[in-house]
Amino acid sequence: MQPVVLLISLILMAALSAVFVLAVRAARDPAPGPGANAKRTGLIWAMTIAGVIVSVASLREWPHALASTGDALEVNVSGGQWWWDIDTTEIPAGKPVNFNVTTEDVTHGMGIYDSSLTLLTQVQAIPGYTTQITYTFEEPGSYQVLCMEFCGVAHHDMVNEFEVVAAEE
Amino acid sequence: MSTASENYIPGHAAAAPQAGAVKLTMILSGAVFALMMVFGLIMRAAQGQWIELDAALFYQLLTAHGAGMVGTAALSGAAIMWYFGGRHLVLTGGIFWAFLGLFLLGVVLILGAIFIGGYGGAWTFLFPLPALSGGAWEAGAAAAFMLGYTAIGVGFLLYYLELGRRIHTRYGSLARALGWNLILGREDNDPPPPAIVAAAAVTIFNSIGIILGAAVLAASLVHLLVPGFEVDALLAKNLIYFFGHVFINASIYMAVTAVYEILPEYTGKPWKSNRLFAIAWNAVLIFVMAVYWHHLLQDVVMPPWMLVVGQLVSYFSGIPLIAVTAFSTFLYVRGSNMTWDLASALLVLSVAGWSVGSIPASIDGMISVNKVMHNTMWVPGHFHTYLLLGEVAMAFGFMAWLVRGKTIARMNGLDRAGFAVYLAGAAGFVTVFLFSGAASIPRRWAVHYEEWLTHDRIGTLFSVLVVLGTLIFVLRFVARLGRSEG
Repeated sequence: MQPVVLLISLILMAALSAVFVLAVRAARDPAPGPGANAKRTGLIWAMTIAGVIVSVASLREWPHALASTGDALEVNVSGGQWWWDIDTTEIPAGKPVNFNVTTEDVTHGMGIYDSSLTLLTQVQAIPGYTTQITYTFEEPGSYQVLCMEFCGVAHHDMVNEFEVVAAEE
Repeated sequence: MSTASENYIPGHAAAAPQAGAVKLTMILSGAVFALMMVFGLIMRAAQGQWIELDAALFYQLLTAHGAGMVGTAALSGAAIMWYFGGRHLVLTGGIFWAFLGLFLLGVVLILGAIFIGGYGGAWTFLFPLPALSGGAWEAGAAAAFMLGYTAIGVGFLLYYLELGRRIHTRYGSLARALGWNLILGREDNDPPPPAIVAAAAVTIFNSIGIILGAAVLAASLVHLLVPGFEVDALLAKNLIYFFGHVFINASIYMAVTAVYEILPEYTGKPWKSNRLFAIAWNAVLIFVMAVYWHHLLQDVVMPPWMLVVGQLVSYFSGIPLIAVTAFSTFLYVRGSNMTWDLASALLVLSVAGWSVGSIPASIDGMISVNKVMHNTMWVPGHFHTYLLLGEVAMAFGFMAWLVRGKTIARMNGLDRAGFAVYLAGAAGFVTVFLFSGAASIPRRWAVHYEEWLTHDRIGTLFSVLVVLGTLIFVLRFVARLGRSEG
């Protein structure tokens, strides 16, 4: 997902920047006529309609939806300064995993990275709460858990790993 | 070349009160901006392994950089809004000096907490981290840091009380100052100018933000003194991010008054309040306070409707910015035949940077995107865009205007060089952050993996340019202060 997000962002940012450059270059052109405000109204409507479409499309399926407990593997992860404890070291590929995340001290962020250091998903670990996310690993291999929320002087050392293994036939 | 008087709108050029206090504030702001940028440069160089930096010191610099940049953005924004508010209101100079004194007291406490006490819990002081340092700092250092915030917050509340009081005296009510007569189509022979609409809105939302911030600061301080006193961590996080989000946004919304008041000198067209402008600002008033949930999109125990509101408002708050402020800037500039000096160039750049920076912020505000972008370098990527190229550019544009004098001359060689270096440096710097975010590099890590070093090193080079451009702007301001007419 990240390359697509980057590409869309850069295109939109470049387009808006180009509009500013054109406006600056047009400083010596004739002043805008009375139709300019109609364009503004059109822009407001276009942004509103685009926003409604994107919002509906991106929220139609709840991004934090959990797999039902009957179908999913339950994995408990607890964090503390500065360690992660994962109660399952081998997770089968292709099966939804519900991560139940807790912290023993301050707020942490559990980010799951694949072997190429791409962030797959994350959730905050909040004192006094159990937070849950579902993720299905498609590929066997080594995965890492990195801390995504600043938690003190060894925040960058708060790393652990687990294995995803091929599902048994 | 032209003179301000040729283009200037009659009645717009009332003598600015307390110009000396504002100029002093801008010198301090420029100096602290430069110092904090050097801290940022050091951090990027350390992440790129070009220099060695102890992790504890890295996180202290991170804390100082965050608190210093947010505080100075707010300080410079407050000075700008005070200056232009003074064109329309009678403001008490003693209040501004008290505000500045309390701000400096806060700075001393914060710097002492960090560099003497070793506090490195980040500017966001996320509960209960200040009390649980793992041995890196004592409770006293965390308390000093939070007392520093408290002093700054009290200063800002004084500032807003004075503004609100004077707005009420001048316009009869905050509602009228917010342009409600314009919105409702009622006759108003003395409608509030844009700077007053902005001042009224910021006075309301930032006062609320600071009061809620004070509540969580007080709770955190009591927790430091009486560890048995517990606060719900999620409630504390909500309060902190409400305060933090509102406060940093207020800095931009205060500084934008420079655009409203200065650009008309160049375009010859007054920036007037109208119905759409008033609607946009009233929407901003609500949006700024409702959007902070986009900082908590991965706190999945939050009520889902709050996260949905966070996503929706993240996007829709871009409409007043792009369709009103940015679009109006296009209209003012197009056909204006304006002269491009450093002040006008930086002010137009600031609207562009602010608007462009809202794009990656809105995209990160989508819950599904946020799952893989939250707390990566994407986040400093978007907020540095609308701060470095937005608020800070507004502050530098205001400073350039303060020392411009009555003659508007095209940029000379040094000004062109400063502008080009700053723009290239800042644009490159934030673009690297966005690429780093897309590469999943987490933010706020003192030590980086080998795979990430190329990003860090390119970012370091661009940050050198940002520091150079900033030094040119600040030194130019100081050098010209003595001979300016203000």
